[in-house]
Amino acid sequence: MAAIAPIIEIRNGTKMFGSFTALADINLSINQGEILTLLGPSGCGKTTLMRLIAGFENLTSGTIQIGGVDIANIPPERRPVNMVFQRYALFPHLDVFENVAFGLKVKGMPKEERTERVNRMLHIVQLESFANRYIDQLSGGQCQRVALARALVNGPKVLLLDEPLAALDLKIRQHMLAEMKRIHIETGATFVYVTHDQDEALILSDRVVLMEKGRVVQVDRPTEMYAKPKSLFAAKFLGETNIFETTITAVNGIGTTARTSSGIQFHSSETLTKKPSEKIAVSIRPESLTFQHKNPDAQSAECVVDDIVFMGSRSFYTVRLNDQSKVRVQVQRDGRLSVPSPGDKATIFWDASNVVMLPRD
Amino acid sequence: MNLSRTKIGAILAAPTVVYMVIFFVVPSLILFSYSFWSSESYRVVPDFVFTNYLDSLHSAVFWKVTINAVRIGLTTAAISLVLAVPVGYYLVYVSRSQTMLYLILITWFSSYLVRIYAWRTLLGTNGVLNAVLLQLGIVDHPVDAFLFSSFAVTITLVHIYLPFCILLVTSSLSEIKPDLIDAARDLGTSSLGAFFRVIAPNAANGLAGAFMLTFILVAGDYVTPQMLGGSSGQTTGLLIADQFRKTGNWPLGAAQAFVMFVISIALYFILVSLGRATGLIVKRRTINPKGI
Ligand SMILES: Nc1ncnc2c1ncn2[C@@H]1O[C@H](COP(=O)(O)OP(=O)(O)OP(=O)(O)O)[C@@H](O)[C@H]1O
Ligand SMILES: [Mg+2]
Repeated sequence: MAAIAPIIEIRNGTKMFGSFTALADINLSINQGEILTLLGPSGCGKTTLMRLIAGFENLTSGTIQIGGVDIANIPPERRPVNMVFQRYALFPHLDVFENVAFGLKVKGMPKEERTERVNRMLHIVQLESFANRYIDQLSGGQCQRVALARALVNGPKVLLLDEPLAALDLKIRQHMLAEMKRIHIETGATFVYVTHDQDEALILSDRVVLMEKGRVVQVDRPTEMYAKPKSLFAAKFLGETNIFETTITAVNGIGTTARTSSGIQFHSSETLTKKPSEKIAVSIRPESLTFQHKNPDAQSAECVVDDIVFMGSRSFYTVRLNDQSKVRVQVQRDGRLSVPSPGDKATIFWDASNVVMLPRD
Repeated sequence: MNLSRTKIGAILAAPTVVYMVIFFVVPSLILFSYSFWSSESYRVVPDFVFTNYLDSLHSAVFWKVTINAVRIGLTTAAISLVLAVPVGYYLVYVSRSQTMLYLILITWFSSYLVRIYAWRTLLGTNGVLNAVLLQLGIVDHPVDAFLFSSFAVTITLVHIYLPFCILLVTSSLSEIKPDLIDAARDLGTSSLGAFFRVIAPNAANGLAGAFMLTFILVAGDYVTPQMLGGSSGQTTGLLIADQFRKTGNWPLGAAQAFVMFVISIALYFILVSLGRATGLIVKRRTINPKGI
């Protein structure tokens, strides 16, 4: 990971639109050179947070610092930040080349250098042959790439990207993701990235900021957030998971035990600060469940196979437990192992390390 | 019933087209043919002569009043546009409210003549302006140069046509998304820079249209110039009206009207070419839109 020094520091940031609280008491440090992803459901305030950093909105209360300086009174044009807008905001009176050149022209870069930098950027986003087209003569994906190039060409310290790949198809998206990682390493810029796509967030980010209704609910490395969500919301939002409603039966030095009303028992090696008979939710990812137990300590439950969805290298099983609740199991293809078929009785197994106990919402 | 889009379009447009043909195109053509007739002692004779055009073009009076009308039109349109742009900008991008626009348009609910007389009252020798200046001791006897001057004409015409100009400017600005201002500022321009580099070029056609429409209305207005400009308020409109009302020389009046029409069109093209030459109005290259 890059050096840990915050380039952006948001303290107690609150943003109201009239009486509506779009962001509530945000505290967030963004490290120099990292790729930070803002993840969260539509309307949770991701774009608003970006617009505050870029300078198009002002905080109702709280402070934002960039490079140690309070930016409250610095207008957008003097912030070392560039933004890729969710709705592109490309200039319709300029062609692709002129759009990308806009920022450099404003800064008074000599024409020769400018042309060279713009052409290099157009090459990266694969739009060289579209340089002379106007914006309304481009497809959505092409517009998105122009927007990306127009921001990147300025070499900003912080690049704000508001769903920059949303309109691209899988293939070009993968290409652009790789390009973005490369550009990130090359420029050393800090990327603040908004996406709805978890895969994108997991592939790209050094850290993920999970937001819900104007609040930051968890900030963590992607692997941590996936493996150790701190709330039911986080567990459900990032990746797929199975949730069991349980009651704690024991909390002691070797961990915590909880049980569903139908008697399925879960043991976690973590010692919670909860007491027996308190309600708690248990989350287990589909890939943490197996039909073969390798571990003598494995926990288990009886089930009946309902349905199988074959997805190439892996399959998704839907099984029914004896209390009729449905559970998803992901099975990696392995020709040596026998797997159950629909209608079969089976047993699912899991390890204590994969049991995540979470406070109920 | 299955109608093609073109058929539906034709049906929807038909009433307007019929109306315009009957009440505009046909009378215009009649007027146009009149301009080639001749007039003998208050009688109009069907003919095919160019004397009406030649007389107009060789008449010093015609050119004097035409230049006057064009000058008043250009000044008023320019002042109105310069005043309307900041107001339009404020209405579209800052306040984002329709109420202000309606308040501005309400001034149009008052009668045109009332407003002209109001200005006469303000600017006349017994008017409010003179009274104030006398009271303050800035002048020792009433100034009669306020009324019956091009100053009076311009100030009144700006007052009358400004709301119209604001309406046109506002509608052309509201087609430009506020995101573009954010994007321009994000890329390093000040808010004024964003206006000149992004808003103005995108609005250029609309602004040129607002300027020209204001110009045409003002240059054709012969009531205000006459009532507030005195002898300095003689315009082509007045001259043309006199041909129809007083001298009864309809062919000459028709010819002068068409000369004025051609001059307006010529001015429009001059304006647009000037805009293009200076880069203010963007002329788009057309590209084969293959595969879009
Ligand atoms: N100018 C504004 N005035 C009033 N409310 C606003 C304004 N801008 C945003 N909001 C509200 O603030 C909330 C957060 O909006 P924001 O655009 O930040 O969401 P988002 O997380 O980017 O959502 P999405 O993923 O759909 O883009 C929304 O409920 C939105 O309606
Ligand atoms: Mg958004």
